[in-house]
Amino acid sequence: MATVNLRRSYRWMAIPALAFAAAMIVYPFGFAVWLALADVQLGQDPKFAGLANFRKMFADGEFWNGLRLTFFLYVVSLAAQLVLGTWLGLLLARSQWARGIVRPILISPFMLPPVVVGMMAIVILDPSFGIANWLLEKIGLPPGLWLSDPATVMWTVAGLDTWQWTPFVALIVMGGYLALPTDVYDAAEIDGATSWQRLRYITLPLLAPTLITAAVLRSVDILRFFDIIYLTTQGGPGISSTTLNILAYRRGFEFFELGYASAVMVTLATIVLGTVLVFARLRRAVAW
Amino acid sequence: MRKLGFIGGAFVATALATAPAAAQGFDWKSQSGQTINLMFNNHPWSQAMREMVKDFQAKTGIEARIEIFNEEQYRARLTTLMQGKSPDVDVFMTLTSREGAIFNRAGWYADLAAMMKDKAKTAPDYDYEDFGASIRTASTFGDKVVAVPINQEGPLFYWRKDVFEKCKIAEPKALEDIVPAAAAIKACDASITPWTGRGIRSVTPYAMAGFIFNAGGSFATPDGKPGLSQPNSVKGLEIYATLMRDYAPPGALNHTFTQVTQLIGQGKAAMTHEASNEFANIMKFPGRAEDLGIKVLPPGKESGISKPVAIGWGITISANSRKQQAAWLFAQWATSREVQAKLVTAGVAPPRASVFKGADFDAWVKEQPVRKAWAEALVELGKTGIGVYQSPTDDVPKARDIIGGAMQEIVQGKATALEAAKAADAELAKLQ
Repeated sequence: MATVNLRRSYRWMAIPALAFAAAMIVYPFGFAVWLALADVQLGQDPKFAGLANFRKMFADGEFWNGLRLTFFLYVVSLAAQLVLGTWLGLLLARSQWARGIVRPILISPFMLPPVVVGMMAIVILDPSFGIANWLLEKIGLPPGLWLSDPATVMWTVAGLDTWQWTPFVALIVMGGYLALPTDVYDAAEIDGATSWQRLRYITLPLLAPTLITAAVLRSVDILRFFDIIYLTTQGGPGISSTTLNILAYRRGFEFFELGYASAVMVTLATIVLGTVLVFARLRRAVAW
Repeated sequence: MRKLGFIGGAFVATALATAPAAAQGFDWKSQSGQTINLMFNNHPWSQAMREMVKDFQAKTGIEARIEIFNEEQYRARLTTLMQGKSPDVDVFMTLTSREGAIFNRAGWYADLAAMMKDKAKTAPDYDYEDFGASIRTASTFGDKVVAVPINQEGPLFYWRKDVFEKCKIAEPKALEDIVPAAAAIKACDASITPWTGRGIRSVTPYAMAGFIFNAGGSFATPDGKPGLSQPNSVKGLEIYATLMRDYAPPGALNHTFTQVTQLIGQGKAAMTHEASNEFANIMKFPGRAEDLGIKVLPPGKESGISKPVAIGWGITISANSRKQQAAWLFAQWATSREVQAKLVTAGVAPPRASVFKGADFDAWVKEQPVRKAWAEALVELGKTGIGVYQSPTDDVPKARDIIGGAMQEIVQGKATALEAAKAADAELAKLQ
């Protein structure tokens, strides 16, 4: 009897958390879905319009351009951050001396607010007056247009995100590696495994759950990447860096098409959710 | 019904609250003790206002809280607050030539005409007629006055007289002289970029429109259809795009007024067509007061037309504000002769005729030849300026984005001027 009462009281204790989640997560998302299904005119209450905003979105070339750029950024940034982050993390994990010195430095990029990173990028990567081209010139390489060329802008943005967040992945990997059981390595050494074989057949499989956790965290962040692009290019030149986030922002706040912008955001939120679910399933598959 | 009851109650309460004031006539202290929230776009006017607002507080006893955002963030925050019918903002800046029709249709503006007519609410010496007729028209929709003007501005042609002299190039007297001048500077002095200008889609038409008008073009055909692909419009579009492609610094398509002001101010660019209200910021850089020439964009050689863009920011009162009378006191004070005369020294061009022709402004102008040139250009803007620089539509922001996009297409080599203009016209037609 006492156990039943205790269970009941536990349920009651969960209510504030559930109410908070409903107020702060479910309601705003539900409202965004409602706006996406509505004809929203400024100053008026939204009127239900069915799938009109989605039909308009799927017929819009800028949406498909935004989707392509969002995926480009996602694939390039995530791949670069996982590969470089794993390499850096393992390097640090094996050297206690380097760990002590490098760890505080590694934290600094992702501690910087995006606005600072954006302003730094504007100053450093300015094609005429930036220090990046000055350095390239000094070592005899041709200058780059970086954020100013439609052909290079998304690579540059991916580079900025990679610069900022690779250390984050490295720290996760380092933590994961240091927690791995050492007896497996001892056995491998006795069996005469090379360092490459140890990495390929022991370290990476054992680190897989850690890497997937890092991938989930970075996926959510990269897919909703907005601030640095908006600061540095505002989606330009042309629409060559207008990812879905930038597209939604511009349509919503510059052109006041709030229904359309909500449709884009709901679509993106669905993509983010789908990605997280895929990784969650993957994580269960590689758990040990 | 409950809502109506609430509105009715609020109306009665407001009427009761203002009744004694009405009986007593206008009083600057009538709203003493109130607090109002002011939301401004980052602009020389708002920067100056941050310093001056204490005078308002002393005069009225009203506490004024100022928030200043960069333009993009400003519009985002304003849209969110207003769409949510928030009473948290009482006074905000607005560019009626851009968003006036949309905001008015949304019901976001309070009617200032009604307040002006009320002698208990409006200072006897306010004199709304003192603002230029074209400026007043831009903020009037039907009988409703939606904003009061805080400045007048338009893009002006800035050029480095010393560079022109060193390279033995004559001052451009016609629109068509600008590209050859840029070519001559490029050949003469590799250390300076011949041209700097706005390249971001949505902000480009402000600087580019003068090229289209002066070339004899227009954004609309005589029957009101989009007219960017008319021969003279294409000519103007091509001149601007040529300057941006061949003579502006790399990356100019990502530039807006902030980069342009820096480049011309730091002496790294020889020419630009940038806002008159950036004058104060440009003059902060050493040397520019001596070597910079300023005038309206030269007229077209063949067309003989000089039709600059002239607009003005205004301040308005939110329709959702619960402190409209206190907000109106601020609007009156901020646009009064006294305040506008002080703002002149911050480089804010006064929209009041009496201030523009006043002794204070005259004395300030005479201190430096460059100020005189700037003031003369402003007079020219006032006489010949035009506030509409897109094809007829209420969806002005979208239309300007399409027009700026056409320029970008040319610069990126994706289309000829005619092809880009035709494609833009097709898009613009959908907004009509």
